[in-house]
Amino acid sequence: MANNSSNEKRPGFIRRIWNGFWSPSGVLSLGFLLIAGFLGGVMAWGGFHWALEETNTEQFCTSCHSMTKNWDEYTETIHYNNHSGVRATCPDCHVPHEWQYKVKAKIMASKDLYHEIIGTIDTDEKYEDHRLKMATSVWTKMKTTDSRECRNCHSFEYMDFTIQETRAAADHQKALDEGKTCIDCHQGIAHGLPADYLEQYKLIAEGIEAAK
Amino acid sequence: MLDILGTIAGNILSLPGIFGLALGMMTRNLLLAAIFGAVIGVIETYIFAGFDFSQAEPLELTIAICVGVVAGCVGRAIRVRGATV
Ligand code: HEC
Ligand code: HEC
Ligand code: HEC
Repeated sequence: MANNSSNEKRPGFIRRIWNGFWSPSGVLSLGFLLIAGFLGGVMAWGGFHWALEETNTEQFCTSCHSMTKNWDEYTETIHYNNHSGVRATCPDCHVPHEWQYKVKAKIMASKDLYHEIIGTIDTDEKYEDHRLKMATSVWTKMKTTDSRECRNCHSFEYMDFTIQETRAAADHQKALDEGKTCIDCHQGIAHGLPADYLEQYKLIAEGIEAAK
Repeated sequence: MLDILGTIAGNILSLPGIFGLALGMMTRNLLLAAIFGAVIGVIETYIFAGFDFSQAEPLELTIAICVGVVAGCVGRAIRVRGATV
């Protein structure tokens, strides 16, 4: 470093901070440091968590231009508008609740920012071109997690099969017996489907089952 | 790639990273610190697999253990550097 050459003994700026950081404190008591550290920790963690939750709202998800198409499709479906007024928003289906999987989902979503900026899916045509690929990754995730996000709200145990339509009740009983998961039958529950979705889904499901 | 990065970050910010660091700070012994971290990594994977090891993903287990070991060693370094006991 240039400013160091005149005085050989004096360590560099970063070195001095580093040494000071690891020296015992002469002016602050242990109690003071502990309380200050605790408060700093609460503020840092709280702030981090708050910021993370801000990115976990429907408003945030749909603030991107790229998401307008599937937002429009979703608003036609039962999870947006139904007789009971209970809704499932984008993060309900797409972001896990478990802390570490949630962090993982958030990190993976950083690529979405990049694709929003370069406009990978900024028109309906481009969206359709990419839909199968995008849907494939959602299906893969749901299939491997046994539709974990659906099960935050729905559960076979509390379904009254007697008041479901016959086809639903029969299929759900079959699903229980054969260990099937929600996404095996309920693709396109919130969005339009690409033309060849069934073949593609079959490939994914076979791949995952073979790997088990 | 993103998948692995995400898993690593998720582990740093949850049990292996934070408890690994804390436990590492409790010892001056590098081997012990690494073992503490690894154990936390195993415990976490076990909890998140719903207490059923057959459900645990090998890759997730490996990453959790690695993050735990690294966090334990960093904790041990903090202890050695920042404490006289
Ligand atoms: C935030 C909670 C929540 C999540 C998550 C959720 N749902 Fe729902 N789901 C609901 C609600 C509420 C209804 C509507 C109930 C009603 O009829 O009022 C519903 C209705 C449904 C229906 C009935 C459709 C119909 O036409 O009657 C299906 C099928 C369904 N959900 C499947 C799924 C699948 C598959 C997933 C996972 C991808 C999922 N749900 C995730 C809350 C949720
Ligand atoms: C084996 C295929 C299959 C599986 C697996 C499956 N479903 Fe269904 N489900 C159906 C069929 C078929 C219907 C009736 C048609 C429809 O409403 O789409 C149905 C209907 C429903 C309904 C509406 C019931 C009604 O009568 O109002 C809900 C809610 C639902 N499913 C949720 C789920 C959830 C949650 C899961 C996963 C835990 C799941 N399903 C797994 C086939 C399946
Ligand atoms: C009820 C659960 C549910 C909700 C709510 C939901 N999604 Fe999805 N989403 C899915 C499923 C399941 C897929 C996989 C593809 C399919 O089956 O349609 C998917 C696929 C996608 C895809 C991949 C491309 C595609 O069209 O298949 C995007 C992007 C997406 N969702 C964004 C959103 C956004 C934005 C919202 C909120 C406006 C939202 N989702 C709300 C269940 C949901």
